[in-house]
Amino acid sequence: MKTIYTDVLVIGTGFGAAAPALRLAQAGAKVVMIEKGPRVQTADFRQTSDPKYILKYLKGTPGDNLQLTYAEALGGGSGFYEMISLRAPSLAFQQLDADGRLLWPAGVDRRALDAYYDLAEQMLHVSQIPVEEIPKTGLVFAHLMKNLGYSVDRCRYAVRGCQGSGFCVTGCVYGAKQSLFLNYLPQAVSAGAEIETDLEALAIEPLAARWTIGAALRDIPFRYRVTARRRTGERELVTFVARVVILGGGTVGTAKLLLASRRYLPKLSEHVGRHIAYNGSVKVAALLPDGVPDADMFTGRTHPGMVSYQFLGSHGITVHAVKAMPLMLVSAAHLRLRDEPQADFWGSANVELMKQLRHRMIILDAFGLTPPGAALQVTAGDARVALPITAQLRAYHAETKRILESILVRNGCRIVEADFLDKGFTPQQGVHFSTAHQVGSCRMADSKEHGVVDASGAVFDYPGLYVSDGSAIPSSLAVNTSLTILANAERIAAGLIERYRLPHRSQAQAA
Amino acid sequence: MQDHISRRQVLKHLGLIVAGLAAACTPVRVLVNAYPQTFDDDPELVDRVLRAFVAAVIPGAPADDPDLVRAFTDRDYPFAEFAAFFAADLTRRGARRFAEPAFERLTLEQRAAVVRDGLAADATTRKMYNGAVTLAQVAFYAGIYNAQQGCALIGFEGGYHWHPLSDITYPEPALFLAAALTPDGNAA
Repeated sequence: MKTIYTDVLVIGTGFGAAAPALRLAQAGAKVVMIEKGPRVQTADFRQTSDPKYILKYLKGTPGDNLQLTYAEALGGGSGFYEMISLRAPSLAFQQLDADGRLLWPAGVDRRALDAYYDLAEQMLHVSQIPVEEIPKTGLVFAHLMKNLGYSVDRCRYAVRGCQGSGFCVTGCVYGAKQSLFLNYLPQAVSAGAEIETDLEALAIEPLAARWTIGAALRDIPFRYRVTARRRTGERELVTFVARVVILGGGTVGTAKLLLASRRYLPKLSEHVGRHIAYNGSVKVAALLPDGVPDADMFTGRTHPGMVSYQFLGSHGITVHAVKAMPLMLVSAAHLRLRDEPQADFWGSANVELMKQLRHRMIILDAFGLTPPGAALQVTAGDARVALPITAQLRAYHAETKRILESILVRNGCRIVEADFLDKGFTPQQGVHFSTAHQVGSCRMADSKEHGVVDASGAVFDYPGLYVSDGSAIPSSLAVNTSLTILANAERIAAGLIERYRLPHRSQAQAA
Repeated sequence: MQDHISRRQVLKHLGLIVAGLAAACTPVRVLVNAYPQTFDDDPELVDRVLRAFVAAVIPGAPADDPDLVRAFTDRDYPFAEFAAFFAADLTRRGARRFAEPAFERLTLEQRAAVVRDGLAADATTRKMYNGAVTLAQVAFYAGIYNAQQGCALIGFEGGYHWHPLSDITYPEPALFLAAALTPDGNAA
């Protein structure tokens, strides 16, 4: 078995992993990143609806009342996201748990993150969409909101030279979307980091070691052994021995790895795998009335360009329109017009509905500050997620749906009923959520009694073991999560540089 | 290498699924309803039945589309193992209800009634019919076998079709915009 020694092992290559890998490599540490998924670059992407292509990269965790989607590839979700890059509103950091405690640890709030948001936005070239590039769907959404006197803001994206092809979620073939393999990861490699793909971390074991508290990185002995296995070929085992291990494999991946390592890490917090937040997405579809201009589901960037904060203060939700490719729409829900309840979700009535999909259908989606109530269950390596539907959650879902329907109905739209489907295409019963915005399975907290890692990302009771990805984010954000995960990872990376007395970038460059 | 799965294997596989479905009300009936061997032996028969099924589910889908029923027998999707069984079930239901032994000779309305019948049956059968209807819709509307073609019926062009900005947006976008709450798109 091959053994690789390194100062820092970063597990994952997504938004939570890329920042610490880059910053520590720039500061002179020997950094190795390992990625479970395949190596991808712009030339590998295709504009297709072929499920075989899409499922090669996008994976799901099924569950009770909640389904999670995530990516497995170099750059994690950054290859396949809609490139929306919004800062979490201050309100998100003020959420309380059931006992009235702040979900976020002391000192981590919007103000503390703003400097790191700045850094992340610079790296990803984030900017607000120009007015003249807003897709028709976004303009129609804005028009509906304007009719009711509501506000709408132009959204922000990590993109340079968007072609508006509408295939963001299958990977940008133009290299316009700022995926991490265009910025953070090549810069990390230039700074000396190594990246291994098709390599899945199986377990983390602490090594017997002594060191002086506060010692510089190079004076700290190797403290962790991580066993990994190739996912292709001979499926060889590889061992990494590291002074510092940073977990950045995402909300599902990081929790699964820690749970699999619990026999070696018996002092891990009991909160591993729990308190998953998911941005409570509620969707309502409708047909536009005559007199409202056409939307266009299939052209322009995947996200329609606009977001409304109108109901953020009053209901803790943001509202936006959704553009759905036929594959995503039809595999996600059975559709029928509400005022034609006897119509089937197939046959002539459905065909007539589908013919209106491109130009006359609009889908509104709300993200909300739903509590972190889901938990991961891992059995024989297979993960499921369970979300108990509380009275509070049922009320949130009903009220959010009511708001979205009200926006549409008051504009004269005809509501389209959607029965959301499970993996086997069977309609879900009752309140059900699906998301790619899962965070919090190893949440930050002020103490081990309430979380898995402290505000610096350090795993309680395991010095040198860190979590820097979405799993550390302790709450729903009501906006897309990628920029906040990246900003928090930048913050954790800055803390690591201080903690291990590494030179800052400018010092490293001078050296 | 085996090119097709035998009836015995289908029944065995269905049995495994059924065993896991505690809610299924008539699993035994599914297991004992052996279907005619001809559906295993005659892929053209299965193709004809499945095409007639898709025509009922998606009226207007071009009958001569070579990819119309490909997803049902594509070994990369789990339904392939049930395709022959499903075709036999459609035929059996059609024959029982309309005394017509060939499902593909039923009228569109009759075929639709058979599909409705399957969707209202026991939990296991319902699951199979739900899966079949949705698979037909996914494959057709998304154009999963032809990235260039898409689906003309709903105006989906597939991939690699470049549109100028004038197609993507409206000429005076500012007229649509509502008041903004933020200076830069980020909520405070």
